[in-house]
This record gives sequence, C-alpha cells and structure tokens, in this order.
Amino acid sequence: MTMRIAKRLLLAAAGLAVAVSLASASWAKELRILAWQGYADDDWVQEFKGQCGCDVSVVFIGTDDEIWAKIKGSEGKDFDLFAVNTAQLQRYIDAGLTTPIDLDKIPNQKHTLPRFQDLSKVTGVMRDGKVHSVPYAFDSIGIIYDPKKVSSPPDSMTVLWDPQYKGKVLDYDNGEHNFTITALTMGIADPYKLTSEQMDAAKKKLIDLKHNILSFYTTADEAVQLWQNNDVAVMFANYGQQQVKMMKDAGLNIVYVNPKEGAIAWLDTWALTSGVRDKDLAESWINFVLQKKIGEQLSQRTGFGNTVAPFPSAGENDKLVWLEFVEDPTKRADLWNEIKAAP
Amino acid sequence: MEGRVADPPLPNAMSQREIADGEERAGRAWADALVGAAAWALPTAFILVPLLLFLMLGFFEVQGTDIAYHPTLKNYARFFRDPGLLSTFLKTCWLGLKVAAITVVLGYPVAYLLASLGGRTKYVVAMFFAVPLLMSYIIKIYAIRSILGGNGFLNRILLHLGVIEEPWTFLIFNLNAVMLTLAILLVPFAILPIFVALERIPRNLLEASADLGAPPLQTFLKIILPLSLQGVVIGASFTFVLAIGDFVTPQMVGGIEGFTFGRVIYSQFGFGNNWPFGAALSVILLLPVLAAIVIADRFGRARYAT
Repeated sequence: MTMRIAKRLLLAAAGLAVAVSLASASWAKELRILAWQGYADDDWVQEFKGQCGCDVSVVFIGTDDEIWAKIKGSEGKDFDLFAVNTAQLQRYIDAGLTTPIDLDKIPNQKHTLPRFQDLSKVTGVMRDGKVHSVPYAFDSIGIIYDPKKVSSPPDSMTVLWDPQYKGKVLDYDNGEHNFTITALTMGIADPYKLTSEQMDAAKKKLIDLKHNILSFYTTADEAVQLWQNNDVAVMFANYGQQQVKMMKDAGLNIVYVNPKEGAIAWLDTWALTSGVRDKDLAESWINFVLQKKIGEQLSQRTGFGNTVAPFPSAGENDKLVWLEFVEDPTKRADLWNEIKAAP
Repeated sequence: MEGRVADPPLPNAMSQREIADGEERAGRAWADALVGAAAWALPTAFILVPLLLFLMLGFFEVQGTDIAYHPTLKNYARFFRDPGLLSTFLKTCWLGLKVAAITVVLGYPVAYLLASLGGRTKYVVAMFFAVPLLMSYIIKIYAIRSILGGNGFLNRILLHLGVIEEPWTFLIFNLNAVMLTLAILLVPFAILPIFVALERIPRNLLEASADLGAPPLQTFLKIILPLSLQGVVIGASFTFVLAIGDFVTPQMVGGIEGFTFGRVIYSQFGFGNNWPFGAALSVILLLPVLAAIVIADRFGRARYAT
C-alpha cells in the first residue's frame, strides 16, 4: 500500500515538474539588460513587460570597467543588451562582443533629434557600414559662468584665458580634457589625436591658462564650495548638467553654455551583445525607450540630454565633439604635471 | 616535586633533572620562537613585503598600458633629469620643514600648558587636543577653505567690521595657504610628543633649580628646554613626514601653486597610469622620511646619554 502511494506521489511530482518546465518554456521570452541607473527605470520596464509579454531583468553597473568585466567575462552570453558610451564601445566591437543592429526594427530612430538621425555622422556607433549601437543619453562639458560678473555672454572656452577674469577662473584637474579643449580652441580638427607639435603648442597655452585660474577642482561638489566661498566668474564645467543642477540647488546664479568651437560630450548608447538570445526583443526595447515620453522623463530624472526630446543641455545647433580615447593618456598626464610644475 | 626532593639523591638523578630542565627549556624556546614568529609574521606580511614589492615595481616600466617586467633604471634616471620634478621635490621638502617648524612653535606652548596642569585635568585637556585627529581630514580642509576663501568667513567678518575694504585673496590658493593648513591639521602630532617629553622631566630637577636661585626663565632655558628637545625633534619629524607626503591639502588649498611631490606621485596612479614611475618616486620620497626618522632617533639617544 505505502509503496503504491509513494509511487503515485512520485508520478504526480514528475508530472508537476513537466508542467512547470513547459510553463517556464512559454515564459522563456526574457530580456536581460545591463545598464546605468536611470536608463531602465522600473515604470518603463513594467510598461515594456506588458507590451511584449516577456520577462525583463535589469542589472545596474557603476563603472565602465564593470560593464567590460560582465560582458567580456561571459563573452556576451549573460546579457542581451547593454548601455555603453561611444568611446568604450570600440573595444567591444574590436573584441567581437556586439551584434550589429537592424535599424528597420527601430522605427523610432527616425524621430530622434537631428544630430542623431544620421548615425554615420555620430562618431563611433558605426563600423564597416554596420550600426553597432543606438544613441540614448548624452551630456556636454561646457562653460559655467556668473552672468553678473561676465558682462558679455562667453561663446568660447577662450574666456578661460581672458585676463579680465584673472584669478576668477576654475579649471577641472585633468590633463586629457584640458588638452582637448585647448586643441579645440586652436582649431585642431581631431582634438583626440594630437601630434607632438600640437601637444607642445597646447602645453604652452595651458601654462598661460594656469596663470589665469584661481584653483583646480576634482569633484562637482568641490566646485560648488569653491564657487560659494570665492570670487569666481567662469569655470570649465566637467560635470555638465549635473553640476548645473548642483549649483542651482545651492542657490548660485549661473548660466551654462556650450563653446562655439565645440564642446566635449559623452554619448551613451544601447548595444546588443554577441550572445543576444532574442534579437528582435532587444531591438524592440531600444525602440521602446526611444519614445519622446521616456526621453523627457530620462532628462528630467537624470539631468542628462536624451536623443529624442530637446533638452537645454545642448541647443540644436550646438557643436558637440563626441568623446574618444586620446592618442596617449600617459603622455597627456605627464605633460599636465609639467604644466603644473612650470613656473 | 616535593616527593622527589625527599628521594635519596641518586648519582644520575641530577642529570635526569638536567635533562628534564633541558627539555622544558627547549619547549619554552619553541614557544618563544612561535610567539616571535607570530610577532614577526604580521609586520613582514603587511609592511616589509609590500614595501619590497613597491621597491621592485620602481625598477620596471610601462609599455603601452601594461607593465613590462624587465629591470630598468629609467624611472630613477627620469627623476634626476627632469628639472621640474627635482624642483618640485625640493619645494616640497622645504614646505615640510616650514610646517615642522610652525607646528613645533605652535605646539610647544600648548604642550607646556598641558604639562603644567595638575593631576587628571591634563590628560582630559590633552584628549581635547587630540580630538581633531578623529575628524575626517577632508572635512577639516573644507572648513579651512570656507574660512579663508575670498568670500569666506574671515573676509566677511573683516569686511563687516570695516577692517578691510576689499577681501583678502592672499589667504588661500597659494603655497602659504598649504603651509598654514598643514600646520593646523598636523599640530596635534607635535603637541603630544612634546607633552610626553615635558612630563618626563623629574620635578625635583626644577625644584633644585629654584632652590639654587635660578629665575624661571633660566630654569626653562637650562633644564626644561634641553630635556624636552627630544620631544620637539620627534614632533617635528612626525609633522615633516606627514607634510611632505600629503597630496590632498596642496590640491585643495594650493591653487596653481599647490603642486607638490605628493601630487606628482598621486597622478602616476590615476590618470598617468604609470605605477612603476609612481613607485620609484615614492621610494625617493622615502629618503627624506628616513632622514627625519634617523635624526629623531639619534637626537633621542644623545639626550638620554647626557
């Protein structure tokens, strides 16, 4: 008797297991996202789930190196798509960790802001005629100034060198970016790949800049504190809109502007991994988040520019120079030290 | 044991006891060795080995983004060839000396006051002077920055009182600001050793001096000061060592002049991504540090000898 009951129970359990696995098979439609905080908010994920009838799992990352560790570590198999900036994206393409995207599956791409419509004009997202990622969020590194102290609104980074503001300028303490902005003011076409002559010329200019500034800063809140306690007129705003928001929250009267020679800007994009399971599903997510409503929310919540709805971080005609890896980071850092040690 | 003592002494009983003693001694030696090994293991693992690794790292170089592990003297050669680095190094040492001098001058009267307090009070008050050491370093620098800034607390008060018409801008973002800030931050490190040295001076020496008719100034100059000099030298070497290695204060209050050797080293581990060069520079920075320690040590012993 007991044996028979046990047998029946076993059979029932086996049946249940089969049923469960069948059910989960029908749920197998799952999207695995790796993204920065603020790029896949819960309300959007819930809405997308309802539309696709699929499951969505989101893993948030904190650093560029963490993305690399997760994507490279699993050879792209642990995630279907990930958020990555255009400078970083290059090493993923080099390592074959991306899957080219079919833009026909992303109709909303046609309704993005003008500068993002023709992806061949967005440095870094295409290679060999194939689209490797779709722009999603960005921010520029421009100028912040005090309208009471700076009489005529500046339109170029050269304002940092203006002797009128001697001792009233803050500069971000980073050799790479300082060489890039200086190269842009010198009209050099590719500020990320400088020749040694160009570097020497930029170095001379940066020594001049040093003598015009009050202090360097490293973090965004440090800049706020410096601005509050000193007579500062203008600053190289490395943290862009994030910094603008912090300063306005602190009650400071400031204006943000992108320089006419071009502002350095980072651009985060969506890319598909080489291990993407359901390519259509991943592409439909990209299409989903390229809605105007979501773009607006993204900007409101993070302060970053989005690629579909206009946002004050960059006017339509502002020239943005998408961030790239520089020719020799060590050399720029060494020269930056020489600039600081120079009399 | 007592029973054994009562036993008639056999010729070989002594030797047995000697053997037993010997075994016991050997056992104790083993235990000692074990404790000794444990005592050495931690400093070896966490201080000596990392230091040696660091020393070794200085003899490699970076090629591209990776470290090439074949020995070279390039890093050290570069330090001696680069006039900018050399002058930054000397500037930093000079800054450290000035900070050491200021902390000792500021710290001595405080330590003297502490030592002159009676009984328990002095330890309670001494504690108060050590409290700033428990606060975050960064917070203290931020506070100093908001006091000394162009629109800072000090300037606002002076403007309000009509002492000045225009805010003083020389207070901050120069090398003097670095020196003053470091001196303020580090002064407890000078106070405590001087306090300890003053405390060690036997009271009867002071009484004897007074009995022999020496006025207080003479007692101070001939007895207290010489006997507390050891603490002064130790305090000065502490603050010197801490000041020359600092890389936060110069950045935060030094403005364009705040580029010290600590900043150079720091940059090699960040944007520069040149760990071997940073390691070599750290070893070079170790030289004045060792010199300070040796001087403090020599001075301490010499004082005890007399």
